[in-house]
Amino acid sequence: MILLISSKYDVSTNNVVRWLNYYGINYVRLNTEDFNPLNHFSLSNKSSKLTINDIDISTITAVWHRRGRLRHVPNSLNNLGKVTDYLKKEEDSLVKSIETYLRSTKKYIGSYTSEVENYKLEHLMMAKECGLNIPNSIITTSKKDLIGFYNSHSQIISKDLRYPINIKTSDVSINSIGTFKVTDELIQGLDEQFAPIYAQEYIEKEFEIRVFYFERRFFSMGIFSQHDEQTQVDYRNYNTQIPNRCVPINLPLDIEKQLLSFTDKIKLNTGSIDFIYSTDERYIFLEVNPMGQFDWLSKNCNYHIEREIAKEFMEV
Amino acid sequence: MKSNIPFKLFVNCVLVKGANRSTICDLQRNDVRVIPNDLHDLLAENEGKTIDEIKKQYGNEFDEIIDEYFQFLYYNEFIFFSKQVDIFPKLSMEWADSTIINNCILDIDENSNYNILNVLQQLNDLQCRYLEIRNFKSAKIEVISNVLKFLKESESSIQSVEILLPYFNGIELWIASTQEKYVRLHFVRVFKSPFNKNIAPKGDHKLHVMFTKQDYQNELCCGKINQSFFSANMLAFTESVNFNSCLNKKLSIDRNGNIKNCPSMQYGFGSVASTKLKSVVTKNDFTKVWNISKDKISICKDCEFRHICTDCRAYLENPNDHLSKPLKCGYNPYTSEWSDWSKNPLKKEAISFYNLQAVTEKP
Repeated sequence: MILLISSKYDVSTNNVVRWLNYYGINYVRLNTEDFNPLNHFSLSNKSSKLTINDIDISTITAVWHRRGRLRHVPNSLNNLGKVTDYLKKEEDSLVKSIETYLRSTKKYIGSYTSEVENYKLEHLMMAKECGLNIPNSIITTSKKDLIGFYNSHSQIISKDLRYPINIKTSDVSINSIGTFKVTDELIQGLDEQFAPIYAQEYIEKEFEIRVFYFERRFFSMGIFSQHDEQTQVDYRNYNTQIPNRCVPINLPLDIEKQLLSFTDKIKLNTGSIDFIYSTDERYIFLEVNPMGQFDWLSKNCNYHIEREIAKEFMEV
Repeated sequence: MKSNIPFKLFVNCVLVKGANRSTICDLQRNDVRVIPNDLHDLLAENEGKTIDEIKKQYGNEFDEIIDEYFQFLYYNEFIFFSKQVDIFPKLSMEWADSTIINNCILDIDENSNYNILNVLQQLNDLQCRYLEIRNFKSAKIEVISNVLKFLKESESSIQSVEILLPYFNGIELWIASTQEKYVRLHFVRVFKSPFNKNIAPKGDHKLHVMFTKQDYQNELCCGKINQSFFSANMLAFTESVNFNSCLNKKLSIDRNGNIKNCPSMQYGFGSVASTKLKSVVTKNDFTKVWNISKDKISICKDCEFRHICTDCRAYLENPNDHLSKPLKCGYNPYTSEWSDWSKNPLKKEAISFYNLQAVTEKP
């Protein structure tokens, strides 16, 4: 029996489920939107046992943790302000511990812990150690240093370190615009000291590359976002009228090797990885999204990734 | 335009060569462009070279026309320039589908007495995803409502339902209330309507409604080939390359309860009252038509539109040849001309063979 943890709205999970049905693979799906009662997670020197939603987890042979995480705090406790915040924190540590427990006992593909602890700087450091090219980057609280970085590159961009900003109060609403170019005016408007800003050299790209990684296999796609002003800085500023050209790509073997040692290092068995292929002919690692979307990649490249994922569970 | 860097076609812009001209089928943007066969050959033979090299190859005699071609290709983003042409593999033409039966047509008239809910149950076991219900003479709205209710309550694998039915007084109210209740209803085509009207899906509603003054009296109305049915997308294209673009993974029950590939086809596989669908769909006799791809059909195989086109195996130009082209196609790929198929004197015999003289066609 396979356990799927996902959002009920996730198209890719639905498509994988169809293939599981096709191959006659038994599965149970728990959705992250629902309250999932935790019957017990019992630990003793002699044994440990886990039952969620009346499912005895010892009957589960493999887990595909596709999106989000399970909710074990009843919905009735969701609107208690700071109390809820506290309960959620406790729940977070529980969920992560359960993941660690399951990971040590069975095949467990995907990770909530990796998703929330997806620190871009750590990944840059690891990627560099594995021999991958990374963009020149700076994190600074100083206007002087930022100006120094700005002046030593023809153009620079800025993005968030971990979380896109999303603040809504009664009088303000602040939303992330994703990656953006840093201009003279922007810098001039800054104080001498500020909260840490993450900036990178702007790399002239020939195309971008999105890699979906699953159990030591790579499914890669080239994204030609350069011709379109809207997507020049980041293809995620989607143009829905005329979509960027997206075509299958074969990463060079040495890049795949470096990526494999990278994913081993950060203990990732699935995820989406972004690269740039620069006009000066280099593959440059940008970042990882452990629970990134791959539906569009699978469709554009005719990869049938959903079937390949289902097949992975056939052998368990 | 970079004339000194190798060019490459984006692999989702697929070249299809016909007898007289070719097409570029843009599977990402659902766009089809007709191009001369000269340009097809130029692209097929020279991909990976630079424009300068190509010009030189032709002794710089055709520079102007080559420039014109490449401007057209570059402007429409069918090509790009890169020194890295080798890292871009061919597009896989594989078509894969997680169902045993993908789509089903159920015909119902006033005399139909087969057990429709039983059929739906069996379709669920076959993982069927799309259902079309056709009422020709009179609208069987209680049957349709029962079907939609059953699909909803049984959480059936069928996610999308299309309905064909004749106009009746109050039909708009009926459609409005039905679409509120059943999100699986995606398309309603109303014929013999006093007006023509097209209501596109809006907001949360996925339902598309089409009213037409035309009359569809029976299954003979089906099978027409028309440019407006052309569709260039990855799924349809790869299916057409490998399988029959109408009948692949299709199952039908005609108005008399006979199991068929399509209600219009002569040959049946027994009555649904006494035959299990599962036993039929594994029979080679039933599935063999699934493999008749356009590349196997005479004349179609020379047509530049073959992989974006629908097909019809029920009404053939030569009823004695199962690989004959669809009777209701008016296109001639050797002259690139469209004409009215029903007025073609060469098709007269086949038209009377199928008793199609009096039929109004589905647009």
